[in-house]
Amino acid sequence: MREFLLRVEPVIWLLFGQGLLIGTMLLTGWILIVGIAVPLHLDLVAPEALAFERAHALASNPVGRLVLGALIVLPLWKGAHHLRHLSIDFRGAERDLWLAPILYGIATVASLAGILAVVRL
Amino acid sequence: MAGPAHPNAMAPAKPGRTRTAPPQMPATWWSHPRIRTYLLFGSTGAVYLLLGLFALRVVWALGSGPEAWNAAIAELESPLYIAFHGLGLASVIFVGVRFFGFFPKAQPSRIGPAKPPPPPVILAMLYLAWIGVTILFVAILAGGLF
Repeated sequence: MREFLLRVEPVIWLLFGQGLLIGTMLLTGWILIVGIAVPLHLDLVAPEALAFERAHALASNPVGRLVLGALIVLPLWKGAHHLRHLSIDFRGAERDLWLAPILYGIATVASLAGILAVVRL
Repeated sequence: MAGPAHPNAMAPAKPGRTRTAPPQMPATWWSHPRIRTYLLFGSTGAVYLLLGLFALRVVWALGSGPEAWNAAIAELESPLYIAFHGLGLASVIFVGVRFFGFFPKAQPSRIGPAKPPPPPVILAMLYLAWIGVTILFVAILAGGLF
């Protein structure tokens, strides 16, 4: 397992780095509107801005799918990789052998679900 | 987390003649300001993982039809979700400021004949991109564009 983790490290690092860079850029606006402004009914958002028809039309075009796919997938890998290293910092070298596969497993399954979610829009 | 560090953690490649005490990790290692910020940076991993899963939940609902979509949007009005997204926003800003701050320092001195721009220029480009993407995203999602 240790050898496998080392072998896939470059791919994980790429996804982790893009999660930091692109994930952060995309999440800021997403959280502001979808996570905060819409639930709080702030005047910043037009009443029908996230009505199903409009949201679906925005999300289902190729650019929308790509952006939403990145918004889902990249933060998952940033999260999984950072949590793994936080665990190692807290004397978790031994536990890493089972924790890393669990964290990367969650990220892999959720990424595949994320790709499916944007494909089926 | 206090305890002995690895006995050879700081050992020179060739042992000297002077005997040294084994290194001891201080009990409060995690509370040093720099380590604390580093650990806080790492712990945003949990927030990002959950943000990714929540985004998946919302997009999945959008693909499942108007009823599922309306239910997902109504679910976001729960105080727990709003509080989590408040924490998420704080985490994302913290990660952005920290990561973009050390991004220019992590660039190679040159790639072939090309040299990267000076660090302040790289930093300014990153902030411009971040602010630009955020404004664009907000304008589209809030109904101001398209």
